Amino acid sequence: MTSFAGKILRVDLGTGKAESLKVPEEVYEAVLSGKGLEAWYLYKHIPAGADPLGPDNILAFACGALCGTGAFLTGRWTVACKSPLTGGWGDANCGGLFAPAIKQCGYDAIFVSGMAEKPVYLYCDGKNAELRDASKYWGMDAMEAEKALHEDLDGACRKKPCIACIGLSGEKLSLISGICNEGGRIAARSGVGAVMGSKRLKAVVLAGSLPMRSADPDKIKALSKELGRKLLKMTLPSGLGVFIGFGGRMMGHLPYMPMDGALTSYMFREWGTQANTSLAITSGDGPLKNWAGTPKDVRRMDMVYNPEHINKIETAKYHCYSCPLGCGGKLNIRGRKYVEFDETHKPEYETIEAFGPLLMNWSLDSIYQLNELLNRAGMDTISAGNTVAWAIECYENGILTNEQTDGLELSWGNTEAILALVKKMVAREGFGDAIADGVKRASERFGGKEYAMHIGGQEPGMHDARNDPQLGVHFVAEPAPGKHTVGMGIEYGAMSLCDICSWAPPAKLHPKKEDLEDTETLAYVSKANACYTMLVDGAGGCYYGQMMGVHMWKLVEYLNAAEGWDYDGDHYMEIGERIQTLRQLFNIKQGIDPASVKLPKRMLGEPALSSGPLKGVTLEKNREQVSSHWRAFGWDDKTGVPLKGTVERLGIDRLTEVDAG
Amino acid sequence: MKKSPEFDYLNCVSCGICAQACPVSALGMKKEGKSGKYRNVFPELVNDRCIGCGTCARSCPMEAIEMKEVTEE
Repeated sequence: MTSFAGKILRVDLGTGKAESLKVPEEVYEAVLSGKGLEAWYLYKHIPAGADPLGPDNILAFACGALCGTGAFLTGRWTVACKSPLTGGWGDANCGGLFAPAIKQCGYDAIFVSGMAEKPVYLYCDGKNAELRDASKYWGMDAMEAEKALHEDLDGACRKKPCIACIGLSGEKLSLISGICNEGGRIAARSGVGAVMGSKRLKAVVLAGSLPMRSADPDKIKALSKELGRKLLKMTLPSGLGVFIGFGGRMMGHLPYMPMDGALTSYMFREWGTQANTSLAITSGDGPLKNWAGTPKDVRRMDMVYNPEHINKIETAKYHCYSCPLGCGGKLNIRGRKYVEFDETHKPEYETIEAFGPLLMNWSLDSIYQLNELLNRAGMDTISAGNTVAWAIECYENGILTNEQTDGLELSWGNTEAILALVKKMVAREGFGDAIADGVKRASERFGGKEYAMHIGGQEPGMHDARNDPQLGVHFVAEPAPGKHTVGMGIEYGAMSLCDICSWAPPAKLHPKKEDLEDTETLAYVSKANACYTMLVDGAGGCYYGQMMGVHMWKLVEYLNAAEGWDYDGDHYMEIGERIQTLRQLFNIKQGIDPASVKLPKRMLGEPALSSGPLKGVTLEKNREQVSSHWRAFGWDDKTGVPLKGTVERLGIDRLTEVDAG
Repeated sequence: MKKSPEFDYLNCVSCGICAQACPVSALGMKKEGKSGKYRNVFPELVNDRCIGCGTCARSCPMEAIEMKEVTEE
């Protein structure tokens, strides 16, 4: 017995047919579940040149191999499709309860193709899967729709349903929209919400209660108990958040950024990801003033975004399924300036950074409003923030006029104008409509391409590659470019991958200058990072488990116990390599030229910053490092196309011949 | 005799595995932690649907749930 459900659900919205298909065991052995299963299926079944917003695109929802086994930090679900934002592989990832709900319906993944004539939602309870009319929910924001569905289904299901749905941004096909669950938590990236909207699929409702299994549940429990006990003991005095900004200042003066998995876990548990904001402002990790600012521009802003301010109004913490950390929280925001809502989720670091320091916005209250507004609309805060930053810089430099912006004075830090513009983006009104498809399209229409921060069409996550050149490699080489979650050089030491993988370079506590510049060694660091992240995605794991390191969150042991296997780390890293290569092959099939994907000049250090921790930093070696990264993967180092020998070595040629049936 | 879950909150890490495993959604992560600085939420019975099947107790990695006999009213 393994942890896999062994089946997928295939739904054609055009015909209304839903069928359950068995997946051959060799597929699970090769790519696990989650993003791996999606990569296998989508590479095979989305035709070359498919319109991302047309019926040929397939929208996939998947849970990971470890989901439901009792393994901690394995509650992530992944959406994948051909991205309308980049034209290549697109995926986004979210927590909540939706991942186990997929498996409790008896499936590892759900694949939705075609387009419905009128709005529908997919209902599945483990016995039946059917499409139902969703006309009454169309036009509702994500939270209203979820609430209304819960009320309408109350009493009709034995098990309380889990619901993933789109908000107005997805309905209106904004290319920077995502898919929400659990009251506005979003799988936000790659424009997955627009794909769901194009299919007129308002929601997926899962109400199954089938048992979830594993090969050795006792072993899994023992592993989880060990980790849980460590976390229960991990406490520090409260109120330490005020010092995080000072810590960032010190880190900004170090030649590298020392990270520790246990400390990071503590920070997420105590404050959530927002703990990173003040550190990012002062250390050089977080972008300021549309990626061109220095800490001098935002002096003392780290105190405005001090994590203790947010903790003070937190009314309850919450955890994703199977997570002992619990980085989420609910905030009471009633009566605050700019705020129209009573409560919101604790804003994530990415959201605060994208609408705070990136826009020179000093109002924390406005971040609460923007967070709730965008969560309900289902719009990606990273992409939206980068787009607003571009608009402000264009306005400041005379590229955009008052007439074009509908009279909005888009100056740096003009909170009222930022709020008004985002409302227009959500409603797709006037200038907001013109820029609601992200910064690449906005700059193609209005100009100011030098201020448009995107990589291959997607806006980058809120971490500066000048602070971590390895991240710059992933920003470019990742099949879904611009994502910050695929690998960070600064986290490599904390993960200790060399302890499970024979070819992963050792992580040095005090690396010398030459260690940080040896392109060939660094290529294997970035390869190890990418392979491990893909493995985590196949397992359905959380990146914060990944950041704890292999000695705290024992992924290899978990997988062996769940599946009854006895593989070593090298075998599992090869699974990660296979998933990443499949995603790259997907891009090649869809006509993406990986060599054309580049970092924006500003992020390359052209021109270099004049002060602060990133003073004078340039990334002139980025292209060379990307080539070395491709070579380490066995891909052509000039074109990024996986070589025939690599495809055969990983068995991808055989794998793509088998099909679910 | 009907059985019902009893929770050991000192060993609970609020992972929610028990609540999601419950086949009848009788558990919710609703109980607010009152001691300690963590404002965590913990599992508790939120309705009268519990069928005493013990799935929650078996699923708990921290072994923080025990099925205790209760007298039916």
